[in-house]
Amino acid sequence: MFELIQQLTNVYGATGRETGVADLIETLLKDKVDSIRRDAMGNLICEKKGSDPNGKRIMLSAHMDHIGFIVAAVEKEGFLRVAPVGGVSVDASRTRHVRFANGVQGVIVQQPVKEGETPAMKHLFIDIGAADEAEALSMIQLGDIALYAPDCFRLGQYRVASPAMDDRVACALQVAVMQELGETRDTVIAVFSTQEEVGCRGAKTAAYSVEPDIGIALDVTCNGDTPETKLPAVKLGEGAAVKIMDRGSISNPELVRDLLAAGERAGVKTQREVLPFGGTDASAIQLSRGGVIAGTVSIPCRYVHSACEVIDLRDVQAAKELLKAYLK
Amino acid sequence: MNMEIFDYLKEMAVQHGPSGHEYEVAEWFRQKFEPLCDSVIIDRVYNVIACKKATIPTRDGSPAPRVMLAAHQDEIALMVSDILPDGTLRMGNVGGVDPRILPASTVTVHAREAKGGYQKLLGVVGALPPHLMSAADGNRNYQREELFVDLGLPAEEVRELVQIGDLITLNGPATKLLNDRCASKTMDDRACVAVLLEAAERLQRMGHMCDIYFVATSQEEVSCAGATVAAYTIEPDLGVALDVSHATLPSSRPDTTIPLDAPAVTVGPYLQHKLVNRMRDTARAHGIKLNAEIAARYTWTDTDAMQISRCGVPMVLIDVPLKYMHTSVELLDTNVIRESGRLLAHFLNELDEGWDSELWS
Amino acid sequence: MELKTICELPGISGREEPVRMAIYAECVQKLGSENVTIDRMGNVIAHKAGRDATAPHVMLAAHMDEVGLMVLSATEEGLLRVCAIGGIDSRVLVSKRVKVGYGEDALNGVIGAMAIHQQTAEDRKHVLPISQLYVDIGAKDKAEAEAKAPAGTPIVFDTPYTPFGDHKVLVKALDDRVACYNLLRLLDCDVKGDTDFVFTCQEEVGSRGADGAAFRIHPDIGIALEGTSANDVGDVPETARVCTLGKGVAVSFMDRASIAQPELFRQMLQTAEEAGVPHQVKLAVAGGNDSGPMQRARSGARTCVLSVPCRYIHSPSTICDLRDVEAQYQLAKAFLEK
Repeated sequence: MFELIQQLTNVYGATGRETGVADLIETLLKDKVDSIRRDAMGNLICEKKGSDPNGKRIMLSAHMDHIGFIVAAVEKEGFLRVAPVGGVSVDASRTRHVRFANGVQGVIVQQPVKEGETPAMKHLFIDIGAADEAEALSMIQLGDIALYAPDCFRLGQYRVASPAMDDRVACALQVAVMQELGETRDTVIAVFSTQEEVGCRGAKTAAYSVEPDIGIALDVTCNGDTPETKLPAVKLGEGAAVKIMDRGSISNPELVRDLLAAGERAGVKTQREVLPFGGTDASAIQLSRGGVIAGTVSIPCRYVHSACEVIDLRDVQAAKELLKAYLK
Repeated sequence: MNMEIFDYLKEMAVQHGPSGHEYEVAEWFRQKFEPLCDSVIIDRVYNVIACKKATIPTRDGSPAPRVMLAAHQDEIALMVSDILPDGTLRMGNVGGVDPRILPASTVTVHAREAKGGYQKLLGVVGALPPHLMSAADGNRNYQREELFVDLGLPAEEVRELVQIGDLITLNGPATKLLNDRCASKTMDDRACVAVLLEAAERLQRMGHMCDIYFVATSQEEVSCAGATVAAYTIEPDLGVALDVSHATLPSSRPDTTIPLDAPAVTVGPYLQHKLVNRMRDTARAHGIKLNAEIAARYTWTDTDAMQISRCGVPMVLIDVPLKYMHTSVELLDTNVIRESGRLLAHFLNELDEGWDSELWS
Repeated sequence: MELKTICELPGISGREEPVRMAIYAECVQKLGSENVTIDRMGNVIAHKAGRDATAPHVMLAAHMDEVGLMVLSATEEGLLRVCAIGGIDSRVLVSKRVKVGYGEDALNGVIGAMAIHQQTAEDRKHVLPISQLYVDIGAKDKAEAEAKAPAGTPIVFDTPYTPFGDHKVLVKALDDRVACYNLLRLLDCDVKGDTDFVFTCQEEVGSRGADGAAFRIHPDIGIALEGTSANDVGDVPETARVCTLGKGVAVSFMDRASIAQPELFRQMLQTAEEAGVPHQVKLAVAGGNDSGPMQRARSGARTCVLSVPCRYIHSPSTICDLRDVEAQYQLAKAFLEK
């Protein structure tokens, strides 16, 4: 699993620029599913037919996009001014190594702020080593998106850190589930969605075209197990988290029960997650057409939306077994 | 309505139905609508959709207009977000419970929440006694993470019964006040579902040329999910949403509130002005007092979702005035429920195939 | 009298009459009318002669009054403006149910405030003072409100007696009806010295009833029976919990009203030890009570306070553990009989 996560986190895939990730996933799954297609939003939709023609349509959704910084202006001196794409944090971004799709690298720096002023995105700039505006524009274009530079390394025996864990770890999970699933009664549609970080836009159109009966988002969730962090009551290494609610959606209670039961059948550890903020693709899937039974299986992740998002491989394993048991 | 409105509200208020978990209250409403309508279903997100087909054919043989009426059945609530070592519970919000009401409130913890079976535990939200408080403490509102639910049980027993994600509802039984007024939890917005039932009852004796879909929607308090998907399913020609609105208090600005003693209709860009005027004409013709409320943009009701369903739905919004919204003492005048139901019944009775001939002229 | 009955009776400070009459009747029934008086302040004093004339004269005090509200005036809209009688944190008032007035004519009311939707972000940070809270009885206008609930009408919380958790009860006014309940039970015990059982009034507004009673009685020993704040739940550190429900009667070494006479304090703990009564020492110098006036009336008395730990006191929802109620009774009884 580590190798798969490493492979997926190392690919460039900003929000709205997910093609590279989709290409990689397509090669990983092309022999494992019945059909693969992409829609206008760039979603990669992989369908695996069930054995029962009257079976349900179950949609899984893991998002491919990664938060970043879009170049909005270039200073005369060659520094890039940026705007956020998704919820990037100023605090987590100071003096960070970033990289563009074409391989150009840079560092993000915060200029001095006036006393009493809160540092904001407008105080950040990217230094790509250009001497002036013209040189900068020969390296990148306005509208290019810089991401935290790819990285993926182990922490201790079970844990892994990477800037793109949200949500490539779930992409890896979804790839593994589809590879190992085998025959099922219900049809399973694995959607690798786009633009989740700016409002679950990919999942919205995917859910419309897929027309699922049940939708399950796979995403990371925050932890309350580090110093001075109390919420939510989710711990790294304590198993897959089944979401009960977050700011974006309330999971269907019967689906929550079924997912927890599947975890029990699979003999893996699960946790119940109540997140007072955040949202996943489930929020968009739930509202599609005449309504979809929706929920989320989460992988606990520390330091979400930073350049060192940390997960525990045992939790990913638990989520995989849970999903396989549920889909069987 | 068969039952006295107060008794009805009293029974309705205690039906369990936090946003996203409306299965119990939905079943209750299904049974209430069943004898009054041709068909009733509960959909995937627990909307109750009751259809009453037209009883009078259109004169020109055109299909009957489809009218969707929506009032939400979900209630604001809390959820167990963590269990502390000593067995007290931290909580998260499901919809916008006014945090100011929580200290010293009694609540019900629905332990082992699952369809069909759970145990109700009485809890109290703790509050520091004034004796132990500094002056500065007493001057700021509690943060939600400072508040907790006390079940009075040993920690081991709490851990055995309660799980993260269990729901916590407010306790607020219907209390009768002077002048047919009543205070209770969940008047927002089940009082408006009561208006739908009142209208449905009246329509047993009044013909109508339109197909009527009475919908008790779900999840209005968090996302309007219920109204969004119900409107997609029903494909209405026009919609009427009903929700509560702030009634006048001494400290409120008169332009943001409406009087407690009569329903109102909202005027604003999200509402179709000809239909709004039609509603006002109906009220005038039948001697029903109808105030007006202004919404410059969002109405913060199911209207906002229904209006943009599929190709778009012209909307009317009826407001039932209510004091102390999002508390356990939401207070209203029960006569307004009767009058609103009467208004709605007449509106539907008089709606004919020509309803849209001059909508935008 | 049952704990339920005595807690559910209404009686804010200065308007204790329903509680007073019920207590008076029971005292008369147990000790005869010649031994029971209602003094000028409204305290009920029940006297019982001891079996040993040389033993110290003991006064026990439990207060009848509870914190509550009082009608100030009515707004044009028919809402009641109110003030607090006793120390009430206004944060516990919003959205609670109350009874306006006493007895048959009592009206239902609810406490409301401007909806949070209509408050500005800045306003939300501040606690709504009681001047911005209203008791709503459903009156249509000022005239109706004034007719139904004129200025001065007493208001009490409407929280019925309910079993809670394990061994606990939830009800209004446990402070200090729980001690009134025990004091009535103590009337039956075989006292060693002369004993006056005093049900005081107006404790919550400055222990005003106990002042006169202590002056009249001038005991050698004064024991206040109280319901006191327990802050024993959530993530409160052990040292800040004051006292803990279920751990027995709380004996105070000092509070804001008095410092317990050290010998009496020690004697009390020893008595509890010998009689096998669960007890704890109250771990905070907080709260005042009738021990102050008893200690300092005339030439003074030795005093001590025995309390039942109660959660959320001075709020509509107070909670105590019935085992602690029993412990308070057992300790006072053991002390009086010895």
